Amino acid sequence: MLEAVNVTKEFGPNRALNGVSLRVEAGEIYCLLGANGAGKTTLINLFLNFHQPTSGSVWINGRDVASAPIDTKRDVAYIPEQVMLYGMLTGLENLDYFAALATGQRQPKDHLVALLAEAGLPADAVDRRVSNYSKGMRQKVGIAIALAKNARALLLDEPTSGLDPSAANEFSQLLVRAQERGVAILTTTHDLFHAKQTGTRVGIMKRGNLMSELDSADVSHNDLEALYLQHMRD
Amino acid sequence: MLGLIARKEFREFVRDGRMIWAGGLMVVLLITSVLLGWQQQAAVQAERVASQELDYDAWLNQGPRHPHNAADQGMHVFKPSPPLSIIDPGIDPFVGSTIWLQAHRQGETKFRPAQDATGLKRFGNLSPAWIVQVLAPLLIIILGFSAFATEREQGTLRQLLSMGVAGRQLMWGKALALVLALGVLIVPGALLALGALAGGASGDVLLRFALLCLGYALYLGAVIFIVLGVSAMCRHSRTALFVLLALWIGAVLIAPRTIADVATRTFPSPSRVGFDEALSADLDGASEKEWMRNFNVSSAWDPKLPLSQWGKALQVDDHSGYGVLDDHFGRLWDTFERQQKLQEAAGVVAPVVALRAFSMAVSGTDFSHHRHFSNQAEKQRRLLQEVVSHDLIEHADPLGDRHFSYKAGPELWAKVPRFTYDPPGVGFALRKHWLSLAVLIAIFLASLLFARTAVTRRLSA
Ligand SMILES: Nc1ncnc2c1ncn2[C@@H]1O[C@H](COP(=O)(O)OP(=O)(O)OP(=O)(O)O)[C@@H](O)[C@H]1O
Ligand SMILES: [Mg+2]
Repeated sequence: MLEAVNVTKEFGPNRALNGVSLRVEAGEIYCLLGANGAGKTTLINLFLNFHQPTSGSVWINGRDVASAPIDTKRDVAYIPEQVMLYGMLTGLENLDYFAALATGQRQPKDHLVALLAEAGLPADAVDRRVSNYSKGMRQKVGIAIALAKNARALLLDEPTSGLDPSAANEFSQLLVRAQERGVAILTTTHDLFHAKQTGTRVGIMKRGNLMSELDSADVSHNDLEALYLQHMRD
Repeated sequence: MLGLIARKEFREFVRDGRMIWAGGLMVVLLITSVLLGWQQQAAVQAERVASQELDYDAWLNQGPRHPHNAADQGMHVFKPSPPLSIIDPGIDPFVGSTIWLQAHRQGETKFRPAQDATGLKRFGNLSPAWIVQVLAPLLIIILGFSAFATEREQGTLRQLLSMGVAGRQLMWGKALALVLALGVLIVPGALLALGALAGGASGDVLLRFALLCLGYALYLGAVIFIVLGVSAMCRHSRTALFVLLALWIGAVLIAPRTIADVATRTFPSPSRVGFDEALSADLDGASEKEWMRNFNVSSAWDPKLPLSQWGKALQVDDHSGYGVLDDHFGRLWDTFERQQKLQEAAGVVAPVVALRAFSMAVSGTDFSHHRHFSNQAEKQRRLLQEVVSHDLIEHADPLGDRHFSYKAGPELWAKVPRFTYDPPGVGFALRKHWLSLAVLIAIFLASLLFARTAVTRRLSA
């Protein structure tokens, strides 16, 4: 379960988040929409203690991130917009390393290879150095890392960025399967269609404020689009 | 977990080529220098043993002659080359190894009082010690500057931290990787040196070797933590590299010379000429006083002295000088040791200075050991003088005017024993130079603290 309680975050004079509160329950996929610079990434980063809130608090599975920054990270997996990996290592070696760090033990090679396949990485890329990967391929390794962690919550910052449509589609299915296992998922996206299709709830952010929240089952795709554009306009 | 982090770091060292070119160079230099040092030490030692034999043989077989002539010609003693000079030749190459023991004057090796007796200013002698003191830190910088800075720059640091890894764990893992890399690069050279030493090495030599390893481990450990700390503090790897190289140039290349200058200025030693003049004046003064007291003549070797007292006079003259020599050389050498102590303490600023002092001391190639040898040589010289003047008093003085017709033979020469030098044990080195070890330990702990603080403070993102 992920929770932000009245969170404000300022970078100098610039207020990136303004009293945002939201809650993502187990088995929910919460999609955050919003224009560039709305504060979506900042909110995700607070959950990872990459930044500390100016006021308010963020909680993971009932624990305050500020007071247990390392332990709370063990409960979440994170996929950034640009997955950063070690170029000198192969995709498999990167996964091996991060998965072992995340879980505290090395996982069998077959399992890791299967995770890479599940994330959609072509089999012939597995043993190639990541420095030669395309952006989408790197993203897929990031997805495999998150899968390996097998966490109870997912923090996704435009995770499908750089994925081709079919890979993005497969990723959506992965998310749905995770949701069915009871994982709490918070994801940012610019893809309204995806948000409506995959998300159980949708939040719209604007200049650091959470403008509205709705259940995606309750709105049609067109309604969502209209609402979003209206928020962007005024 | 640490092993995992270390393994990944090490793999990167190898794959990006740093380990191969920088490390390879290090291995080649180190092994070459150990081999050269070994060969040189063996050759020098064999030569010194042989020379010592030849010289004593010549003394024993010099044929019948007046003992004072024999004493004037004297004998030579050769300082045995310390086994660990393979690793750290210290000041040995600069201070010479042969002392001419002759009547009337205390011998010195080709050692000039005005020179830098601590060997700190001398640089560029490609010994294994120099390589590890000067080049190994550079290698650690090359391998380690990017440890945190590049991960931050490339964004992998966030990926890592999002796994729930603590910054300190990363630090220890990365430190372990650097230790492993250094191990791979240095241990072969160290083992080779140990192999070179093992042939007939005493327990003392092995103990000294172990202490050397400890000293160097503390030093390199400190460098590792400093490098990691700086890397954690810098936003960009270029900044980290720049800062670390500047530190290296300052602390390893420049500071030792500056510190040596400060030391010689704080405890100035006399010039060669000044020292000799002051010594001669005091020797003459002391000698004249004794001549007056014993023989009632106003100057030494006054023609009025009857030849029947010539041997006695020689003894009196010798004895008058001992205190003066002890005094002058003692003061000079104390000055050198004070300079040395100051440098050891200054190791707090430039660790390499403390390490160098420690390394030379434990290798038995520093000034304290040199002084110990010089004292033993002087003892032998005084023994020689005593034997000669005693014999003159007994056999030549009774001849009166025919004093100088007396000739001694092999039985007298044999009364001067063969010179054997017993070098002091490791305890001596530690007693004299515990400060440098203490400084190394302090620096190690301070660096560790610095790295931990830097990592904890600067690694939230
Ligand atoms: N480290 C930082 N230092 C200063 N300002 C920052 C920092 N990170 C974000 N900001 C500012 O906070 C605001 C919100 O940025 P954020 O990255 O959260 O937006 P976003 O919603 O993720 O945008 P995008 O859709 O482009 O990813 C922006 O004005 C940005 O300039
Ligand atoms: Mg963003």
